[in-house]
Amino acid sequence: MDMNEIKEIFFQECEEQLAELESGLLKLNDGDRDPETVNAVFRAVHSIKGGAGAFGLDDLVSFAHVFETTLDCVRSNKLEPNQDVLKVMLKSADVLADLVTASRDGGGVDEGRSRGLVKELEALARGEMPSGGASAEPAKPAAPKPAAAKAAPAPAAAPTDDSGFQPIPFTFDGFGGEEETLMEPTTFEVQFKPRRELYAKGNEAALLLRDLSRVGEMSINCDVSTLPAFDKLDPEEAYFSWTISVKTDKNEQDVRSVFEFAEWDCDLDVKVAQVATEELPMVPVPFDLSALDDDAGDDDQDNADDHAAADAVHAAETASNVTKLAAAAARVEKKESQSAAAAAAAANAANAANSAGQTIRVDLDRVDRLINLVGELVINQAMLSQSVIENDTTGTSAINMGLEELQQLTREIQDSVMAIRAQPVKPVFQRMSRIVREVADMVGKSIRLVTEGENTEVDKTVIDKLAEPLTHMIRNAVDHGIESPEKREASGKNPEGTVKLTAKHRSGRIVIELADDGAGINRERVRQKAIDNDLIAADSNLTDEEIDNLIFMPGFSTADKISDISGRGVGMDVVKRSIQALGGRISISSRPGHGSTFTMSLPLTLAVLDGMVVTVAGQTLVVPLTAIVETLQPEAAAIHSFGANQRLISIRNSFCPLVDVGRILNFRGTQANPVEGVALLVESEGGGQRALMVDAIQGQRQVVIKSLEANYTHVPGIAAATILGDGRVALILDVDAVVAASRGQSLRQDSGMKSDMSLAATG
Amino acid sequence: MAGKKAVKGSLKLVSVLDLNEASVLHGQLTNMRGSDVQIDASGVERLGVQCVQVLMAAAAAWEEDKKTFVFEKVSDAFRKTMQLIGINIENLLAKEIRQ
Repeated sequence: MDMNEIKEIFFQECEEQLAELESGLLKLNDGDRDPETVNAVFRAVHSIKGGAGAFGLDDLVSFAHVFETTLDCVRSNKLEPNQDVLKVMLKSADVLADLVTASRDGGGVDEGRSRGLVKELEALARGEMPSGGASAEPAKPAAPKPAAAKAAPAPAAAPTDDSGFQPIPFTFDGFGGEEETLMEPTTFEVQFKPRRELYAKGNEAALLLRDLSRVGEMSINCDVSTLPAFDKLDPEEAYFSWTISVKTDKNEQDVRSVFEFAEWDCDLDVKVAQVATEELPMVPVPFDLSALDDDAGDDDQDNADDHAAADAVHAAETASNVTKLAAAAARVEKKESQSAAAAAAAANAANAANSAGQTIRVDLDRVDRLINLVGELVINQAMLSQSVIENDTTGTSAINMGLEELQQLTREIQDSVMAIRAQPVKPVFQRMSRIVREVADMVGKSIRLVTEGENTEVDKTVIDKLAEPLTHMIRNAVDHGIESPEKREASGKNPEGTVKLTAKHRSGRIVIELADDGAGINRERVRQKAIDNDLIAADSNLTDEEIDNLIFMPGFSTADKISDISGRGVGMDVVKRSIQALGGRISISSRPGHGSTFTMSLPLTLAVLDGMVVTVAGQTLVVPLTAIVETLQPEAAAIHSFGANQRLISIRNSFCPLVDVGRILNFRGTQANPVEGVALLVESEGGGQRALMVDAIQGQRQVVIKSLEANYTHVPGIAAATILGDGRVALILDVDAVVAASRGQSLRQDSGMKSDMSLAATG
Repeated sequence: MAGKKAVKGSLKLVSVLDLNEASVLHGQLTNMRGSDVQIDASGVERLGVQCVQVLMAAAAAWEEDKKTFVFEKVSDAFRKTMQLIGINIENLLAKEIRQ
């Protein structure tokens, strides 16, 4: 494994940590005060810092360090994580993400922004509340020792303007001081003589010394006089001992806590040094941590597995990801619980290692290949069963039994393989919260993003492609959907707008809803715009829904003024195209004064489907089973004509439009007789029910989806194709498209443009 | 294996010199006793105190034997760890790399 690969892994881990960080902060934002949440946030930043140090990513390290320092204040209850504090933290998380991206892909970050945040964070760490802006606070004298700042709060307040800021190079001991109580630096004299057991238990004196060097300015004298002659030396004995003087603002307890895990295995004496009693030659230890930070992970690891749960943590060692987490956890625990028994802390560390879960990283291509092969296996298994059934009429032979088992096994394999690719939409949703924050900040609105169902799982390819259109829509919602706080107040709404992002499974697809509580679409303006742009005829009579859907029309987005009104339209046709490219659909509903809701429906996966195999006009079609509510044999008495060529079927005293599938797909020119066919009651995306009329039901089967677009071309009303057990190709019906088309047909008479739209919307 | 012998009298240290390596290192150095030794510590990423003990004892023994015992190359981590635990290795470094 070369350095680049390791680095790549680091960045992948960074992404996970950033996600962890953000979700933790958002939890805090929602009032969660669980110390574990704070710890998780702290750990995330700490791990990023540690890794970044190992790769010499100095910008990242310095920012992460300031961030970490402030988080540490929250952790130690010195700083109440109220809304203002969290706002700064969330912004910092964004900047941290930017820095990670910049470190990976090159390119710069907004220096001014990160510097501003560094200041805000530092101010928070000193216990100052975020100020409203560049108020005229007295500039901090360029004091070499920032630790002094806290002692005299009034004159030493941090400058809030860019110019007065000191560049980032800070000293670690300085920060250590800031977060601690206001004490004059004290010099402690530490006598440290490890015993053999200390090393035997996997502790390492060098690391203890390193931790000590973090407490403050340190000078050290190593007593090597006890070292025996080389041939008499026992390599595992402890000979060296140290006299260390540490100058720090922290108290004795803090110094002692460095040796917390080792105190039973060494002779330790910590006392306040008498002035000028040094007679030993001391070597100052100017120490930069980054050079050895990488070691920190591994060695703390040693500590952890030394104390407890050696096996679990050892196993974790193989997966670098888990190791780091565990190590970070171990560190956190170690530093934090000064008084807690070592065993408890170690147990916590081990728990953290376990709960982190064991993961492996696999190239997506390999999974894809596996999925493809399993798909073939399923088809093959179906073919095999079919030919056996055809050749064996008794149906009870051992072969049949075996085949049934095989079928179940292939199914299970398939489910497991699909589960590998399925990922929660959470990361995408989390990215959105950042966009909401940023855009809201930019346009001066106060907006809260509520997410729901972020654990809804969907195929990874779908997730990856979802981010872009979603981003676009979120921007629109924040920029145009939600009104300004003043307007909102004037209309009696909460000045803080809400954008709600929901994911759920529905009829075998994932439905993502983006709702805002803004002003809704100004239909009059949209309609006028469409007329001006020659998209519709001036006298066309459109329903509200149709007007709303106009904003998806290409060409509409270029309308110059649309972004000034409360409606939207900026690039919505682009959004629609990307959703369609995913095999999805998008629709909008809007209530003036109450906001708009965009509903996207996307396929869960592009691989398998439980379907009902039906015959329509001599063709074999597959209807996704998830869409079907029930099947029924219509009776002549239940069929009612409605309008020119619409029919309704009455089911249990309610009417439901009857949709002739063969007619919609142009398999036949005339309407079939419902009584001769079978009606499939389906639920479409809008929630409404329709009865799809087909000629006969062949059976129920699991089919492997083969993309029609990739192999042929897109066919309206058809979602995909599959290969049946007998080797024939069958088309998979796009139920919602067919339902929409059945409406489109009726619309064709009054407005020519509409049918195109609804068919184009079928994806 | 604390190191592998490439040339007689030279020793390349492995990257992790922890407790387990101390004995190995001791054994290797014992075998090299009596000849000049050049140590390549450029690959060291982690250095434990016990290995330092072995190295320091060896340095003293070599000095007694009037043989040379030098660190030909050292890694940053090696140098820093030595500095951290308060061991001055400047006089053991090969002249070219002294700072």
